[in-house]
Formats: sequence, C-alpha cells, structure tokens
Amino acid sequence: MKFFVFYLIIFCAFTLTSCRKQDKHEISVAIGGAPSELDFWNDIIKNFEKKNGCKIKFLRQSSDTDQNRQQLIIALRAKKRNPDLFLMDTAWIVQFAASQWLEPLDQYFSHDKIDKSVFFKKIITLSDTYKNELIALPVYVDAGMLYYRKDLLNKYGFNNPPNTWQELVDQSIKIQKKERRQNPNFYGFVWQGAQYEGLVCCFLEFAGSNNGGFINKNFMLKLNNPANRQSLQFMYDLIHTYKISPPNTYTEMREDSTRLFFENANALFQRNWPYAWALLQKDSSPVKGKIGIAPLPHFPSGKSAAALGGWHIGMSKFSDNKPLAWKFIKYVISYDTQKKFTMELGWNPGRQDLYNDPDVLRKNPHFSKLKQIFRNALARPNVPYYTQISNCIQKYLNAAIAGKIPIAQSLKRADNDLSKIIKNYEQK
Amino acid sequence: MNKNNFYKLSYKEKKVLFLFLLPLLSFIFLFVFIPILGTFINSFHRDLTFLPKKFIFLDNFKRLLTDNSFWQSIRFTLLFTFISVPLQLVIGFIFAILLNKAIPFRGLIRSIVLIPWAVPAAISARAWELIYNYNYGLAQYIIKSLGITQNQVNFLGSAWSAFWALILADSWKTAPFIAIIILAGLSSIPQEIYRQAKIDGAGFIYIFFKITVPIIKPIIIAALLFRTIDSLRIFDLIYVLTHGGPGGSTASASIYGYQFFLSGEFGYGSCVSVFLFIITFIISICYIKTARFGEKI
Repeated sequence: MKFFVFYLIIFCAFTLTSCRKQDKHEISVAIGGAPSELDFWNDIIKNFEKKNGCKIKFLRQSSDTDQNRQQLIIALRAKKRNPDLFLMDTAWIVQFAASQWLEPLDQYFSHDKIDKSVFFKKIITLSDTYKNELIALPVYVDAGMLYYRKDLLNKYGFNNPPNTWQELVDQSIKIQKKERRQNPNFYGFVWQGAQYEGLVCCFLEFAGSNNGGFINKNFMLKLNNPANRQSLQFMYDLIHTYKISPPNTYTEMREDSTRLFFENANALFQRNWPYAWALLQKDSSPVKGKIGIAPLPHFPSGKSAAALGGWHIGMSKFSDNKPLAWKFIKYVISYDTQKKFTMELGWNPGRQDLYNDPDVLRKNPHFSKLKQIFRNALARPNVPYYTQISNCIQKYLNAAIAGKIPIAQSLKRADNDLSKIIKNYEQK
Repeated sequence: MNKNNFYKLSYKEKKVLFLFLLPLLSFIFLFVFIPILGTFINSFHRDLTFLPKKFIFLDNFKRLLTDNSFWQSIRFTLLFTFISVPLQLVIGFIFAILLNKAIPFRGLIRSIVLIPWAVPAAISARAWELIYNYNYGLAQYIIKSLGITQNQVNFLGSAWSAFWALILADSWKTAPFIAIIILAGLSSIPQEIYRQAKIDGAGFIYIFFKITVPIIKPIIIAALLFRTIDSLRIFDLIYVLTHGGPGGSTASASIYGYQFFLSGEFGYGSCVSVFLFIITFIISICYIKTARFGEKI
C-alpha cells in the first residue's frame, strides 16, 4: 500500500507542475510559416519587447496550414490562456469566430480612434467581419493572379497578356507548339488542380469570371448551374482537349509545384498567389526579369475574379492580458511594421496606403497592379463548416478534371452531398 | 511463466508481482485505455467547435452508414490490406529462406535487407514520391528503358495506378520486417529434422509445407497480425504520397477520419476511429484464434 501511495504522489507531482500560472506581463503569440518568415517575426517581436518593456512568448507553429490550425483548435477548445494572439488563414476565420474564440476588436478601434479605411474594404467585410463584429485584421493578403512570360509573348508577337480565357488558349497553343521544338516539356498554362484547397480557389476564379460561383441567386450554396458547368468544362478542356496544361495538373499541381514548373521556364502562364513573385525574381531564378503579372482572364460575359486568401491576426477570448495583446496587434498592423514586411519579405500588406508608398513601389513595381486585383477579390463560402464543404467540393472537382466522372454529374453529386452537409451542420 | 504456475503462488507473492506490473499497467491505462474510452464516448456526441456539444447517441453511426466516402475508404483499406499483406508475406518468406542459407556475407546482407524497415515511413514515402514523380522520376526512366511505353506515365494520377504504386512502396518497406521475423523462426528449427526428412526421401516442396510451415506457423501468424493491424491503419505513406487523391480514391479509413480531426469535428472523427477499431479488433481475434498462441505444437 505504501508503494502505491508513493507512486500516486509522484504521479500527481508530475501532473501539477505542468499547470504553472502564466506571468501577467507576458503574452504569447502563435505564428506558423517558413523558417525565414518566423525568424523575421522573431525580430519584430524583439523590437516590440524592447520598446514596451514586456515579454512575448513566441510559439513557432508548423508551416503546414492544416497542422497549424489543429494546434490552435486544441488550445482554444481547452480555453487555454495561451496563445493570446495567433495568425489565421482566411478560410478558418469564420469557424473560429462561430466557435466564440475571437475577441471582437471594434471597441479597441473606437477607443484608440483608428481609421478602418486604411484596410481594403472588401477584405475587411469579406474575411474579417462576422455577425457585424470585426474579429480579425489582415496582416498580409493574397489573391489569385496570372503570371506570364513577357519575353515569350513579345517573341511571338503578342503585345499584351490575355484578357479572356479564349485569348489565353490561343496564345498558349501557338507558343507551346513552337517552344516544344526546344523544350518538349513546355506547357502553356499551369494552375493548381490537385485535390486540396487550392483547387477550390482556382475553380472559384474560373467560375467567378463567368458570373458563376458557389452561391446562387437565392443565396443557396449550389454548384450545378450552366455557368459553373461551362467553367469546369473549360478546366477539363485545358488538360484534355487543348492540352495546354500538363496531365499531372490534377495529381501534383499545388502552388509550389506550379511555381517550380513555371520557374524552370517550362510554362508560359501560371495562376498563382502573390508570394511566387519574390521567388521568381530571385537571382537564381531562370525566369528573373522575364515575367509580368496581370489579373486573371475572364469569360466573354464576365469579369476577372480572384480568390481571396491571406493571413489575419486575431485575439483569443481567453487571453488574460488583452490590453497588451491589442498593443501588439496595433504594432503589427502599423504602417512601419507592415512596410518592413513588404520590403524584406515581399509580402502584400493588408493596408491599402502602402501600395502608394514610393519606397515600396520602387522595390515592387508590380504592386500598382496588385491593388486592382485585390478589388476583384471573391471570398469562399462564409460558413463555419467551410472545411467540410471544401473537402466535398475538392473531391468532385478533382474527379471531374481527371475525367473520372462527367462534368454535369460531378456538380450534381457535389450539390447532393453539399445539401446533406448543410442539413447536418445547420441544426442547433 | 506458465499459466499453471501462477495459480500456485501465494497471495503475497501475487501482490509483489502486481506491484512490479503496476507502473506499466498504469501507463497503459492512462495512455491507451483512457484515450480509447474517450474516443468511444466522443463518438456518441455531436462535438464540433462551433455548435454546443450534445449527446446524440447513435446519430454519428447512422450518418456513417450512409456516408459513401466513408465506405469507399473502408473498401480501399480492406483491399489494400488483403492484397499487400499476402504479397509481403510471400516476398518476406522468399527473402527469409534465402538469408537462412549459408551464403557469403550473410550478416551484412541481413542488415542491408532490414534498412527499408528502419527508415521512417514518412521519409521513405518522400523517396517514393520522387521515384514516381511525373517529370523526372526514376520510375519513368525504368518504364521507358523496359520499352513498356514511351510516354510519361502519371503513376499517382489514376486510382488504379496509384493503388499499385502504394502497394509497391508499402511492400518495399515492410517485406523486410516479415523476412526478419520468419528468419528468426527458421533458424530455430533444428537441422536434424530436415536431415531426417531428406533421408526419408522428402522433396523440397514437401519439406516446406509439411515441416517448415507447421513449425513456424505461430510466428507467421504473429507477423501477419502485426502487418494486418499496421496495414488497416495505414496513414503516413498515403498522407505523403497521394494525400488520399486522386478524387479520394486512395483515402484509407485513417486518412478519412483524420480530416475531421483537422477541422475540429471530433465527434464524427471519433466515430470513424471507433469503426476502424472494431474492424481491427475482429480481424485480430480471428488471427489469434487461428494461431492458438501458447499451446504446444
């Protein structure tokens, strides 16, 4: 019996020591990303600590978006006091907000009399507002855009990047045929078709540029309509009919595989997020100085559309030092810090005013075009169960562009599953 | 210790034995039994992040029964297991027999054979990802130099080829495991039995099926049991190689359940896990019953 008691004491001692209370003058910030980005965040945090004489615990998260989110969900579900602040992907904000984990920020804004119009209005309303409350702020923003090879378009007598998808197909077919004499691996247009979130964004852009999309006229989440069918058919045709997109589009093409394909001078056009620009303009990049960006093309009846992405900062409702946390948010979204992000990491700031800054424009001349792209931004469905919706849509879109099921049937089956999902999650 | 000896022990001796086991038992209780119990309890709840937690008893299981994607994942998992495990057994057996012969550098070759098993699954999956790569993979080169086709083949692109690509990668990794276990069994068979059989005029096939296999049957079944359980919960290889694609055709039950844990839907995710647990449990019992472990041969 003595032994048992002894054992129990040792066990309890171990359990209890792990529940130490956090220091009052300390907050913790959870941020994920590439190692170089995290090192940069570390500098920002050190700066802030020096200025304000406080302590910030930097929780380095996984660079994998899904794992990053899972770690946050587990901490927040347990109502843990840390992390106080965290970065969220656009796609999760609604779920986090609906789970009542995010502190509304309006009161802080009005208290400090900060002008909300420095941010893109569309991004703030589409991504950062839930039930009329501001619950997050954009740290950097993303939208899909078209990268093109300036040198190749000039070489074959095209003055401008394509405005419509048909022009893109025409230019691609012509240039691909000629370029293949030197490079048999050359393709006209690469985009993200693998079964993952990126495919949903691509589809949203194709459909959105054809007056289609996820939400129909009656505000219902329905996919099976003529505009969407035509767009999906076009995605299928890019691979199987025009053959200007490689056949591994629907298996391997995620944003980075697309970027590498384009960077190795194997493609004329690519659809990608803005992050690719800085990497494509590195000294080691074979396409350095030969590329341009433009809004994505559109169908004859529609106008260019770009899926909205990016990372937003939010404050946990369970934070025990909200004033300090807000101070840090203010610091991150300030003009100077955002400018640093832009100048040193090449990120697209969430603030509009930076796109007119002369220093920024000197270093990133393409920013003048980005502003226009962000104004065309389209949001993915704004529901807390978006992940489930996305998983379902991804599966059917991927099967359709792989030719596994016919276009119309894939959208019909997606709708069928979507209505089940909605019914399942809309109950109270 | 034999079963019968245990009952001969005095109460005090049993108590001492129990105290020695206590640390291990409490570890198992804490880190195996409680999580399993928690998963079972969770599977009866609607446990999402954005709606209040609610006891819904069997509603998750009802949803599971009509969930086509789930049944597809179960079909895939069973098909994968019952094709890959026998294949690995045959390959492993052949290796074991070869390694049991007096070949030169036997020790060295034995350790080399074990390397694939020693490599972490996620890393070997990355290696296979490069081998199957559409643009510059080794597999493209092999297929072209064998003259099978001159076109690039998208190995992970169709459900059928992705399935076999996964089986190949899995077999490469785990056949050595079976080989080593069977090798241990083979080396425990006394050579006199073989000599005697040969004197009696028995052929190779006869010796194999009438002497080797029956003697090491419990070992074979133990190896199969490990492999089958491993295979039923296959995750890492698929997560890296195909992520369940194309079109969800290679999503194993673990991959399917994992999606729900990522998005914070713990109730339904637990339900998938419980279902997989039950299947694994039944299959394990079948194995253990056939093996009749602990009985004298």
